[in-house]
Amino acid sequence: MQLSTRHLLGIKDLTAQDIQLILDTAAQFKEVLQRPIKKVPSLRDVTIVNLFYENSTRTRISFELAEKRLSADTINFTASGSSAAKGETLLDTVNNILSMKVDLVVMRHSASGAPHFLAKHIPAAIVNAGDGINEHPTQALLDAFSIREKLGTLQGKKIAILGDIMHSRVALSNIYLLKKMGAEVTVAGPPTLIPKYLQQAFGVNVSYNIEETLKWCDVANVLRIQLERQNQPLFSSLREYNLAYGINRKLLDSLNKEIVIMHPGPINRGVELDSDVADSKQSIILQQVENGVAVRMAALYLLAGKRSEN
Amino acid sequence: MTILIRQAHIIDPLSPFHKSTQDVFIDNGRISKIGTLANQEADQVIEANNLHLSPGWVDVFAHFCDPGFEFKETLETGIAAAAAGGFTEVLLLPNTNPVVTGKSQVEYMVQKAKHSMVSVHPLGAVTKQTEGKELAEMYDMKAAGAAAFTDGLHPVQSAGLLLKALQYVKAFDGTIIQIPDDKTIGTYGLMNEGIISTRLGLPGKPILAEEIQVARDIKLARYAESKLHFTGITSPKSIDYINRAKQSGAAISCSVTPAHLYFTDEDLQTYDTNLKLYPPVRTAVERNALREAVLNGGVDCITTHHEPHEYDSKICEFEYAKPGMIGLETCYGVMGAVFGDALSAERWVELASSNPRKLMQLSQPVIKEGEVANVTLFEPLATYVFTEDAIRSKSKNSAFVGKELKGKVIGIINNNQLKLN
Repeated sequence: MQLSTRHLLGIKDLTAQDIQLILDTAAQFKEVLQRPIKKVPSLRDVTIVNLFYENSTRTRISFELAEKRLSADTINFTASGSSAAKGETLLDTVNNILSMKVDLVVMRHSASGAPHFLAKHIPAAIVNAGDGINEHPTQALLDAFSIREKLGTLQGKKIAILGDIMHSRVALSNIYLLKKMGAEVTVAGPPTLIPKYLQQAFGVNVSYNIEETLKWCDVANVLRIQLERQNQPLFSSLREYNLAYGINRKLLDSLNKEIVIMHPGPINRGVELDSDVADSKQSIILQQVENGVAVRMAALYLLAGKRSEN
Repeated sequence: MTILIRQAHIIDPLSPFHKSTQDVFIDNGRISKIGTLANQEADQVIEANNLHLSPGWVDVFAHFCDPGFEFKETLETGIAAAAAGGFTEVLLLPNTNPVVTGKSQVEYMVQKAKHSMVSVHPLGAVTKQTEGKELAEMYDMKAAGAAAFTDGLHPVQSAGLLLKALQYVKAFDGTIIQIPDDKTIGTYGLMNEGIISTRLGLPGKPILAEEIQVARDIKLARYAESKLHFTGITSPKSIDYINRAKQSGAAISCSVTPAHLYFTDEDLQTYDTNLKLYPPVRTAVERNALREAVLNGGVDCITTHHEPHEYDSKICEFEYAKPGMIGLETCYGVMGAVFGDALSAERWVELASSNPRKLMQLSQPVIKEGEVANVTLFEPLATYVFTEDAIRSKSKNSAFVGKELKGKVIGIINNNQLKLN
């Protein structure tokens, strides 16, 4: 089995078979990661550069670990601010790195479409590690992997995505993936944080009521409020956000069922999620992080296989 | 110099030879004979299949970037592009560096382009530095040769200030041009807000931002009883508002660009930076309604919004790419590609020549004996693929490269100069 694409720019470009393949491959790598020797030689001749034009802790470490577990050679590049602010263009930076014979580029960037732009201009395979408010495909894949692990399947499951949808690439990738895999999706949050055309664009349900949405869902994927992406005030205060849209113990206990709580991190504790929810047994937040390594190993492995085919 | 144009189909409602096929003899920049001139000799003889001849075309909204951004375009390269596009006269944006905000900047353009084959009419800024804070010296600029007034790519936001500007220009019968955009709505929008922007994860610019500005500015212009032209209209609702204002006698007019008649937001799915435009291209619904309005008279003229950007401004992330596209050279061919036979040569000449002249108070050349020759020669049926190496502009930022266009410009005659493509 092979992926239908040579880059991983977004879930938008993947088929349901691609997603299935990545998740199944990830399951095998997860098994590898339970062994005493967690390293496999699969990418021994592959050099990967991690280009992070935007801050990241989890994703960068997760990618690097996945690359090392696959025995790839890795280089890290971290730029504070944008390439434009630094003076060198993105294309120049990447071409300079590629001239040192790099096979795969993992990139996070603050501009939507930046990896798509690179894909048009450079020969290396590209993995999008988050672009602006567009996509974060490996996050959606690890979320899907975690849901599947917990509930057995995605098909027919009711998934709620809560909070700052407008500024979230996690939301968009999750919506693409969940719809392709046959899940039902409701997004809920303040109207100012939900794009006007979301329902029309994806056929998801839109709600402004957290309580009703929680009653409906099997899984609640709670998103981080992206204060750093808000150029204009979109809600009055963090306090009011917590009052109206935050998830607390009392709310969860009132549901009469046990839903699964997810969060892509980093959590704003006491804003979108209270600590007694984030740290409860309903939460699979740390499993998501754990699964992230296996999912990224799978994606890199499959893309590298695609590369040698070309 | 003498020029003989053989068997030209004349499109000029003011000419006694309108819609007839004639030989036209031009002597020293003046039309001296029209008729069957089989034995006439001339320094230059122009013959072509299906040759059409009309009064020279005018673009009301082009950016030549000179002075200040000569790496994008200069007056010379801009004039070459305009001539290639069939334009004998262009009105130039004030968004240069320094901004066209006083007499000296107006005079720079007027003087530098004085004897060129394309007549250049500077547009003066409405506000100092186009900052939208204080009125610029429009009276003085008008006297120096400014054709009309606009803050160009930075439309006036303050209602109070725009009202003052509209009142101010009445003293010298001036016109104000606005790209209608309320910048407080979708301030960081990079494309049309809609299903496509949502799927692409790009911040959207709601069409509402245009419509409410049109509605507001019409009110201001009516209150001031002054002349206002909207350019780069993308919404059929805007056109409705404008039509209603016209019917009630207000001096409101509007134009659209060929790009907005051709592309839709779906063309942005590959994050093509050449399609990052201000205002943005909209959906097929709006585009099709705009096409309708061009044919039925709802639109007064076609403007190119020629906006050159050097290579590096477009080879970058979509968010960082500069908005705008060159448009002078593709204008006519795009109109043909969009409309085919539905757009008559007569309607085209109205959109490109007589209407803009009327609105911008430029003198109207007529194709008859004794008149100065200010004409465009064209062939409406020719089809061809537009290629990058054909571009005369200094910048190549066109999303039409590789597209099949219909309608070819053969050349222009103006200021006693002939320029053939």
